[in-house]
Amino acid sequence: MSDPILRAAHISKHYTIGERRAIVLNDISMQLEAGEFAVISGASGSGKTTLLTVLSGLDKPSNGRVWLGEQDITDFDENRLAPLRNRLIGFVFQAFHLVPSLTSMENIMFPAELNRDPEASEKASRLLHRVGLWERRNNRPEQLSGGEKQRVAICRALINNPQLVFADEPTGNLDSENSREVVELLLELQQEFNMTLLLATHSSEISDRADRVLSLHDGRLVDTGYRQ
Amino acid sequence: MMIHYRFLIEELRYGGKQVITFVICVALSIATLTALNSFRRDVHGSLIDEARDLQGGDIIIHAHQPISDKLQRAVDNLVKNNRLEQQKTFEFYTVALSESKDNSLLSGIKAVESAYPFFGTITLSSGRQLGDALGPGKVVVAQEVLDRLNLSTGEQLIIGDMGFTIADVVVFESMRPVSFLSFGPRIFISLADLDQLGLLGRGSRAEHEILLRLAEPDDAENITKMLSEAAVPRVERVETASGARSRVRIFFDNLLFFLSCISILTLMLSGIGMQGSLSAILYQKQKVIAVTKAFGASNRFLLTQYLIMVSFMGAFGSLIGIGLGYTIKRLFPLLFGDLVPQGVGYAFHPADTLEGIVLGILVVTVFTLLPLHRLGNVKPVMIFRHETGAAKRHTAPLITGIICSLFLSLLVIRQIDDIKIGIFFVLGLVLLIATVSLTASACLWLLKRIPLPTLALRQAAKSLYRPGNASRSIIVTLTSAISVLLVIFLLKLNLFATFIESYPENAPNLFCIDIQQDQKDLFQAVVGEEVLLFPIIRARLLSINNQPIDPEQERERKTDNLGREFNLTYRENLLDDEVIIGGNSLFEGTEKLPAGVVALSVLDSIAEIGEIELDDRLRFNIQGVEIDAQVTSIRSRTKSRLYPFFYFVFEPATLEAAPQTFFSAIHLPREMIPDMITAIVAQLPNVSTINVADVADRFGQLMKRLSVVITFFASFSIMAGCLILISTIFATRLDRIRETVYYKVLGADSNFVLRLLTCEHAMLALISSVMAVIFAEGAAWLICSTVFNIVYQPHWHVAGLTVIGSIFLVVLIGLTSSFGIIQQRPAAYLQQQNGT
Repeated sequence: MSDPILRAAHISKHYTIGERRAIVLNDISMQLEAGEFAVISGASGSGKTTLLTVLSGLDKPSNGRVWLGEQDITDFDENRLAPLRNRLIGFVFQAFHLVPSLTSMENIMFPAELNRDPEASEKASRLLHRVGLWERRNNRPEQLSGGEKQRVAICRALINNPQLVFADEPTGNLDSENSREVVELLLELQQEFNMTLLLATHSSEISDRADRVLSLHDGRLVDTGYRQ
Repeated sequence: MMIHYRFLIEELRYGGKQVITFVICVALSIATLTALNSFRRDVHGSLIDEARDLQGGDIIIHAHQPISDKLQRAVDNLVKNNRLEQQKTFEFYTVALSESKDNSLLSGIKAVESAYPFFGTITLSSGRQLGDALGPGKVVVAQEVLDRLNLSTGEQLIIGDMGFTIADVVVFESMRPVSFLSFGPRIFISLADLDQLGLLGRGSRAEHEILLRLAEPDDAENITKMLSEAAVPRVERVETASGARSRVRIFFDNLLFFLSCISILTLMLSGIGMQGSLSAILYQKQKVIAVTKAFGASNRFLLTQYLIMVSFMGAFGSLIGIGLGYTIKRLFPLLFGDLVPQGVGYAFHPADTLEGIVLGILVVTVFTLLPLHRLGNVKPVMIFRHETGAAKRHTAPLITGIICSLFLSLLVIRQIDDIKIGIFFVLGLVLLIATVSLTASACLWLLKRIPLPTLALRQAAKSLYRPGNASRSIIVTLTSAISVLLVIFLLKLNLFATFIESYPENAPNLFCIDIQQDQKDLFQAVVGEEVLLFPIIRARLLSINNQPIDPEQERERKTDNLGREFNLTYRENLLDDEVIIGGNSLFEGTEKLPAGVVALSVLDSIAEIGEIELDDRLRFNIQGVEIDAQVTSIRSRTKSRLYPFFYFVFEPATLEAAPQTFFSAIHLPREMIPDMITAIVAQLPNVSTINVADVADRFGQLMKRLSVVITFFASFSIMAGCLILISTIFATRLDRIRETVYYKVLGADSNFVLRLLTCEHAMLALISSVMAVIFAEGAAWLICSTVFNIVYQPHWHVAGLTVIGSIFLVVLIGLTSSFGIIQQRPAAYLQQQNGT
């Protein structure tokens, strides 16, 4: 086993809504190894997205700590987290979250441009060719189908060659054929880029293909361990 | 009709800043116009509706020379038949001296009969009637005469050859409601003393008037017609009090027209802001509307709810607008200062409130049509689809545009009471907006294709194309608002630069008029140096190439007109500042002219107005004698307008024998002018002197005051422009938040978002202000060249400051309104997206 790329210790997350205190994550500890494909499974509302946002530094835990590599990012402010997210982490969302005013090519290039990568355009072109969307490079999100949007989102997540990709229900808005294609693509690219993939889903088909499945239930995580 | 009160209250509560922006827009749209119309009613009530008080009679006969016998007989006959009463008045400017002759003051002398006036009020400080205070050897003067000549009641004053005792002081004169249009303060003398002054020589510039009071005021039109037939055409004017166009009335008509135009622009911009903020409210509520529709709410139900909500906001905004209008009106005394005629009140009448309410209802109705219509476009399926689809083409914006144009046209026509000008104004506005809109589209198109150096700039440029961003609308409105302000400012600067600041060092600053033929030598002696004396013969132009001049039509011209009385002169040579631009010499080919036709040289500026060319035939009436002249040359001038010039120059032989006076323009050190005036008037009492430097100062003060008034009104347009910007930021707030979250998720920090938003707003401001500078410079140049006839200076530093100031203001507003967006945390937004 290599060193963990992501580590979380005793994470809790709770919200106060009116007079009610809702505990979404309850004392969760976990770690991810480099190059593994892990799935967080659980019913709707079980806290999968919350766990992803806390692990990726998009949100802060109420308690507990999160390490990205050797760095404890729990208390990092936005300005310290931003470059980490840009270079080390990629995101794929259920709702795609593409910038509507940018074309496919521009959406993919954006993280690389933020990173002042002079090869942003070449890398984006390669990725577009790789996912079969070169012809759609000048289309805006509104001109793409759901499957195409998610492929563009995957390219965008990978352009800076991140160590870790978080995917939150990436097939949730897609039909079965597109879902299959997107999962195949993600897994192929995970291998090609040798990245760690943490995917939140309630699909058992996807869970069956993961190296490890982490089940969330009532805010608690049950690690089913590595598959043989 | 079902009204869902809880739904309405919740919508209003969660509308937040957009609701406030909407209400402010409604308030702003009606505030200036309501205040202005209230003021207009007061001015009209004071000056125009009470026309008899302003003119002093039911009918006024006016001439610059003694009234003709024929007309006088016609009046006398009517008096005999008890159909009317008459009073004669004479008015002219001359210099009054203190008894010691060490102080002098150019004053407006009015010689009147004891019963003057028939109508209107003259209030004296003693409380007496004017007729009781005046008498042989007595004068009644304005307070300014006492102040400036250092005199008091009971002391002596010298006018012409005669000494007068100051009998009383005028406190209010309804015939002269403002003082800024006069060269000097009022002095009333008795008509019986007029001849003894020795001032009204041949060719003197006295205004001769007969005021008539009718036994039957309804007879005014008939009697005016009857007397007009007896009057000398173009020389004697017979008018009813309501038809007479006094200078005061013309001034206020023009000023109120101009301010109305600015207020209508403010109303239009506020309307656009209103539309933007309502769109923002409805855009934010799209999902709620979609859900409501999914549960079976009809378009009609939703339209009813939002219509009630808009009516409530409109009513609230109208109330604030009326209150603001009232407050603005309370500021008018401070703002207008002595421009406001005496007797004008500042009360806010029920009619003003009613107008505010009606205007509020109309404005809200017209400008909320489009956003409310778009309610129907929200489909229940939007619950499931987050992203904006490609906009479909609808006819609604076109129809709304037509309705808005119609509304504005009717409003303009109603405001300025002139259908033709109203249509021109709206067409001009539409043309301006169309031109700005096309140019804005071209700029945005270019911006898309220009390679920009930094990521923030590139993203900012792309953000301008964000769906619903209304970049073009913002540019159009900002450009229009900045253009209007800049045109006003540039015109002020150019008028100042031409007439006040860059008053040529050696330009004449003392004009002496009405010097009689036999006074030429004495005048030279008093002045103490050889000065040029220009002969002046007063005349009217009757026709050009047998096409008669129509005085009524000529008066409509905004520039100088051919219907007025001209000062002709004669000489053999060109002046130092003249050049021939048509023909070879002043009077070339005189010998070839037909018998009875004389040679004439014409100045290019009047040639342009009358489209006069070489060899054209002009017929003049020179104090009763008609002569035909042929244009033998056209001259132009090389110096400022402040040097003497003459439109029409004849050969000496033609006019030497005509009744004439002489005019001289002298340059003196400024501090010596008062003493020189005193010396001239002491020796030559009939000579009128005009201290041009003093007049320029007064003109400067008037310009400054007008500039403050106009800037005050135009600043509301700028406020409306800012509200449009704010409403657009609100309208696109959700999109901006979404983009900001995406950028942050992908690794951008808050500084990047801040830079991006700064660049986006700076780009909007840059495009708008640069376009505004180009349009304003063009418009100001056109107005200076054609209306004011002055050389235009572009004042590029002002243009530069306008661009910088606009960028600063827009970026400041943009960032202040976007503060919450910059601070947005990605997780909260993503949770919300997944949770709703």
